[in-house]
Amino acid sequence: MIDQNLTRGIFLVLFALIFGVTAALNYPIGAFAHGGPGLFPVLISILLGLVGLALVIRSRFEQKVPMNFKLKNIGVIIGSLCCFAFVSEHVNMIVGIVLMVFIAAIAGTNYSWMRNVKVSIALVLIAFAFQRLLGLNLPLY
Amino acid sequence: MDALHNLAFGFEHALTLHNLMYCAIGCVVGTLVGLLPGLGPLATISVLLPLTYSIDTTSSLIMLAGIYYGAQYGDSVSAITMKMPHASSIVACIDGYAMTLKGKAGLALFTAGISSFIGGTIAIVVLVFMAPKLGEVAFLFGPADYCALMMVGFFCVSFVTTGSLLNGLAMCLVGVLLGQIGTDVNSGMQRYTMDLPFLADGVSLVSIALGCFGIAEITKNLDSKQERSPFNGEIKLLPTWPEFKRILPSAVRGSLIGSLIGVLPGGGAAIAQFAAYALDKKVSKYKHEIGTGCIEGVAGQAAADEAAARTSFIPLMSIGIPENPVMALMMAAFIIKGIQPGPNMIAGHPELFWGLVASMWVGGCFLVILNVPMVRYLLSVFKIPYNVLFPGILFFCCIGTYSVNNNLDDLYITAVFGILGFVFMRLKLDSAPLMLGFILGPMLEENFRRAMLISRGSFGVFVQRPISATLLGMIALLVGWQLVAFVIDTKKKRAGLAAQPQVTPT
Repeated sequence: MIDQNLTRGIFLVLFALIFGVTAALNYPIGAFAHGGPGLFPVLISILLGLVGLALVIRSRFEQKVPMNFKLKNIGVIIGSLCCFAFVSEHVNMIVGIVLMVFIAAIAGTNYSWMRNVKVSIALVLIAFAFQRLLGLNLPLY
Repeated sequence: MDALHNLAFGFEHALTLHNLMYCAIGCVVGTLVGLLPGLGPLATISVLLPLTYSIDTTSSLIMLAGIYYGAQYGDSVSAITMKMPHASSIVACIDGYAMTLKGKAGLALFTAGISSFIGGTIAIVVLVFMAPKLGEVAFLFGPADYCALMMVGFFCVSFVTTGSLLNGLAMCLVGVLLGQIGTDVNSGMQRYTMDLPFLADGVSLVSIALGCFGIAEITKNLDSKQERSPFNGEIKLLPTWPEFKRILPSAVRGSLIGSLIGVLPGGGAAIAQFAAYALDKKVSKYKHEIGTGCIEGVAGQAAADEAAARTSFIPLMSIGIPENPVMALMMAAFIIKGIQPGPNMIAGHPELFWGLVASMWVGGCFLVILNVPMVRYLLSVFKIPYNVLFPGILFFCCIGTYSVNNNLDDLYITAVFGILGFVFMRLKLDSAPLMLGFILGPMLEENFRRAMLISRGSFGVFVQRPISATLLGMIALLVGWQLVAFVIDTKKKRAGLAAQPQVTPT
């Protein structure tokens, strides 16, 4: 079982380490009187690291809370998003919208081709309305 | 009485048919565009700015102000119904969305509308009587004081939004760190950009908001597998009288706080909503319900937000310094029209200043009037099954992210934050403090470095200045109280656990 409270603390410490170490190694720190670009991130990372440690320590005194991850849905959603960006850039946005709808629908409770087609058509129409009426600069075709 | 006379003069200008029409158009268009997730007031005004080029000066500024308020209201609608906030509606996600889940979306939206109206009205009174004096308050604050103020903001927000000081504080700090991505203003050095050109300007707020709230929320709804259809019943819009009596005190408190904080340069409106929420959680009669979807949680923050949005015009119009990006854009609009905002503006163009003030109020009226019929129509969208709805929401996320910079690469950033948001959600970390940290982070750094530069590297400056010393003292008190409370709490629990086995047999 993964303990939620403990994971939270560890996650934050890791986050602080990534940002803090990167800043300390790559960016000049300077002095307090004349701070360099690395000074502030390092300070904040130290603070965040301390808070993370405090959470780790506190988790020893608290009841464990089990954690559950379902990776399928988040994967599908993020995949469809990236697919939209990639296809819109290299082909055009209409294909991107259609692909996004068809991929994202896998995450839904049931899957129907007909419905996806209808949703795609509706969204393409909305996109056209944005482009024409609001003047958004969408690379639709 | 001078002020009243001026106000009457302003209404004379605002209430011409011509200006009323532009105010109404601005509100409607602003609300509609603001509804789209990702298009906050800033994006909305920049998209619609060209519409005003051909209109005369007073009308065009009135229309822009209308767009601004409309967009803010539209934002809170998308925050309440879909949990997709923008900078001005982060807090609306907490109780507003909780109310939506309870099937009270109509009531939440109406409350937000009416509280905004109350907030706007009170802010205008403040604006009329104290504009010049409040403009000077901003001068009293030095860099060290701003740092202290932001720290207070972090602590209060972390404490109220999540209930756990450490969790909230951690998220604030994560937000500050994320705000570091991009080019360092002082040295021009690129930080954490991994040499990607689209990160040089930093991560956009929209990407974080849509990723951490929007996408995370979609995944959560899909994971829970239940058909989410809280809108199938009748949509109740108008509050009953007892409910209205609960709205009023929160809204008034929120308005006062919002009016004051809105004057301060920096994240005025963003802090104001959190401050109002924090105060409500401390003093409201129904404070135990706040956070679970109650009216006060929506009313206070909406009023504060609106009030701050209005008083944030004060620094622009009295000293000519825009205090946030939206105001900078308004300033650009002023300058396009050939007016230099500054100390001479009120004297030089009285019809413009007072007309704008009066039209703010008229705009508020329009919003409330529009709100009622439109909300019914809007909510019918949610009768669509979620399987059909979520690709649409995803699509709006994409368009919202893209339209900030017209850059498809930003979508990948949104995707990254979607994953982060998912992790935060699973770790029970609240994203609202993260947003505040992200907004204030760059300002905190700038002011911290400036304060240090002035004091030649001595931390004493934070204690020597009365304002910052008081604010830091408040933080110390809060932290001390938290520690004591934690120790007492654990002792009680231990005692309770030890006592239980002895009690049960008897």
